[in-house]
Amino acid sequence: MTLTGMKKHVSVLEHAGLVVTEKIGRVRTCRLGVSRLEQEAAWIERYRQLWAARFDELDKVVEELKQKEKANGREK
Amino acid sequence: MDARNETVATNDTRTDRRSEREVVVTRTFNGPARIVFDAWTKPELIMKWWTPKSFGITFISCEADVRAGGTYRFVMGHPSFDQPMAFFGRYLEVDPPRRLVWTNEEGEAGSVTTVTFEERDGKTHLVLSDLYPSKAALDEAMASGSINGYPEQFAQLDRLLSSRA
Repeated sequence: MTLTGMKKHVSVLEHAGLVVTEKIGRVRTCRLGVSRLEQEAAWIERYRQLWAARFDELDKVVEELKQKEKANGREK
Repeated sequence: MDARNETVATNDTRTDRRSEREVVVTRTFNGPARIVFDAWTKPELIMKWWTPKSFGITFISCEADVRAGGTYRFVMGHPSFDQPMAFFGRYLEVDPPRRLVWTNEEGEAGSVTTVTFEERDGKTHLVLSDLYPSKAALDEAMASGSINGYPEQFAQLDRLLSSRA
């Protein structure tokens, strides 16, 4: 592979978030990165966990309010 | 309760990146929409569920003037934080017990949150959407790791809770 071809290849991988590169002087070092897709999946999962945790608590509030309404009969 | 309607199905919280600038959460609650809506709009009720215990975050104050144009301000504390965290914004639409829209203004390029409450057979199907101003804004929120303004470390649930889920 030519140097230009290699640069292009690495830049595609970098763009996809599969590698992270760092240039120090004339040397560019590549390492495997967390892809954007993985980062997104992890974020969405934590976002889900936050809401799932809130909603588990909200279930209890809804249950309490339902019981209170029942106890109050047809007051409203 | 209907045996076929197990809690597992009812309590399934789903999330989805619906578009390049929108994420959506869906969940069904065992109660009528007016009750669920109340729990989202009365500060004394919001305080009961908005900060899950496993996060170690507690409310310091919770103000919500729930009408179009009204503002809200949630102030929370955490043992590892010197300063309380404030979450604030404005309500854009308030249509009880069907729809609630508010802005999130604590950060730059915050999302607009829309929650719809749809009642079916005494249960409420809830859809929450966080719509970011641009793809870049959502990408950046994801890259920063913070969730709805919570720093990354607080958005990590403890193992007990995640293993229960």
